[in-house]
Amino acid sequence: MTITNDLMTKEALVRIDGVHKYFGEHHVLRGIDMTVRQGEVSVLIGPSGSGKSTLLRCINMLETISAGRIHVREEMIGYRENRGRLHDLTIKEIAAQRREIGMVFQRFNLFPHRTALQNIIEAPTQVKRQSKVKARSRAMELLDRVGLGNHANHYPAQLSGGQQQRVAIARALAMEPELMLFDEPTSALDPELVGEVLNVMKDLAKSGMTMIVVTHEIGFAREVGDTLTFMDGGIVVESGKPRDVIANPQQARTQEFLSKVL
Amino acid sequence: MSSLAPTDTSDRRNIAAHRKPELIDAVPVRHPGRWAGAVLILLFAALLGQSLVTNTNFRWDIVGTYFMDVLVIQGIGWTLLLTVLSMAIAILLAILLAFMRQSDNPLFRGVSWTWVWFFRGTPVYTQLVFWGLISVLYPKIALGIPFGPELFSFSTQDVITAFMAAILGLGLNESAYLAEIFRAGLKSVDSGQMEAAEALGMRKSKIMWRIILPQAMRVIVPPTGNETIGMLKTTSLVLAVPFTLDLTFATNGIANRSYLPIPLLIVAALWYLVITSILMVGQYYVERHFGKGVDNIVPAPVKPTPAAAAAKAPKIKDELP
Repeated sequence: MTITNDLMTKEALVRIDGVHKYFGEHHVLRGIDMTVRQGEVSVLIGPSGSGKSTLLRCINMLETISAGRIHVREEMIGYRENRGRLHDLTIKEIAAQRREIGMVFQRFNLFPHRTALQNIIEAPTQVKRQSKVKARSRAMELLDRVGLGNHANHYPAQLSGGQQQRVAIARALAMEPELMLFDEPTSALDPELVGEVLNVMKDLAKSGMTMIVVTHEIGFAREVGDTLTFMDGGIVVESGKPRDVIANPQQARTQEFLSKVL
Repeated sequence: MSSLAPTDTSDRRNIAAHRKPELIDAVPVRHPGRWAGAVLILLFAALLGQSLVTNTNFRWDIVGTYFMDVLVIQGIGWTLLLTVLSMAIAILLAILLAFMRQSDNPLFRGVSWTWVWFFRGTPVYTQLVFWGLISVLYPKIALGIPFGPELFSFSTQDVITAFMAAILGLGLNESAYLAEIFRAGLKSVDSGQMEAAEALGMRKSKIMWRIILPQAMRVIVPPTGNETIGMLKTTSLVLAVPFTLDLTFATNGIANRSYLPIPLLIVAALWYLVITSILMVGQYYVERHFGKGVDNIVPAPVKPTPAAAAAKAPKIKDELP
């Protein structure tokens, strides 16, 4: 694989080994191996139903895996190994693991009964037991960072899709995660609003955040991504440096897909 | 924002946009049927009004005499107390039952299901009679180790008074109905809310209490208001316990003594109407509270390009009421 040299030297933050996932009879992930290094922006593309969103959701236990292992910073996600057997983690332990992993959803999923600011301080005050004052000032910093400092007291219904998604990013960042998962963050947006969200993500990538991004934005993948992984039918078809994969795909299936989305 | 100042051409467009357009003044569609209907209804209302005044069997003088009678006012107090306390018990139990029903724990789900099955499946009248007779069934209630020593005990009659029996009977029965309303409310909240909160590392109980329930309340409040008003009138069944101080019993008592059932029924009905009206006002405010951020919000327009926003900004201000 051709990952940039400085990244090669970084340690792996996420290790996905032989992951399978069944929904009943339906085999949606068929042996995924993947490594995401500290500070890497890993972009997942593929047709719908290829399993890319499912893989993302497995990383923070929104879905449980059927086989394989997922480690985030050497810590196994969802299970504890004890005398050769895996034991389910308790809800409390899973919640603790999730705190290290931020997630941004396609449908934003902001809390509609809370203002932008209240959305952001919810988890820091309730989970991390930060003081309201501290959480609030941190939230304002984050809102400024995503360009919404003057929208703190707006309810989600008063914000455009792009603004809601930027608040959602700020909300995830407020927990100071070491990994950010983006599940098609711009797919539900009007075309005009896609750019503002991608810009925030770009800045975040520049600041050194480790990110796994499921997206259809090939331009973003090329510009910001360190690795591009093409998935189809629950397997990784091709993976490499975005420029290489996009300009010179090795697999016929990748070529076919890219010819349709480019 | 100076960089966003409109250029010359957009200035001209601004002027065009700000010129007041000629507003449409169309002739509305006529509705002769509505007028005919209104005349008919007014006619009936007049007839009814006339009979209310001229029919001496109503005995409005008696209605006036007893409307503020001490027994009646006390009856209202007891009726309100029964309504409020039994609804409070029912709501607390219903939240618990609805959470239990959604739990991963099969034990909780089973208990919740059985509770609803039992209390919804037997008539409230039967339950009230049963609570009234509880001291016959269990003269003494004791807590202890089965077949072992007793830790403490009390006489049932001292604790489960008629008032207590009435509240328990009404509250437990109502909790079963409310539990289903709360369950429907919880289910109405988008599953993305649970996922978003989980992804933030929040615990299940916190998520339910702080994220899901407040949103579910929008759906829960209207039928719960319905149930509260229903409860207000169901309290008249407490004579089954027997508890004999509520509004219906008080007015019935006066009616039986004075042989004037109709005016006292009117007294009771008027008071129930008054209380119901007050409850409806309360419901309005509760609904408004839980609709925060969702209902009655002016959605901010999706922000267009800066230039278009600059051009439209003064207009939007004009349009706001």
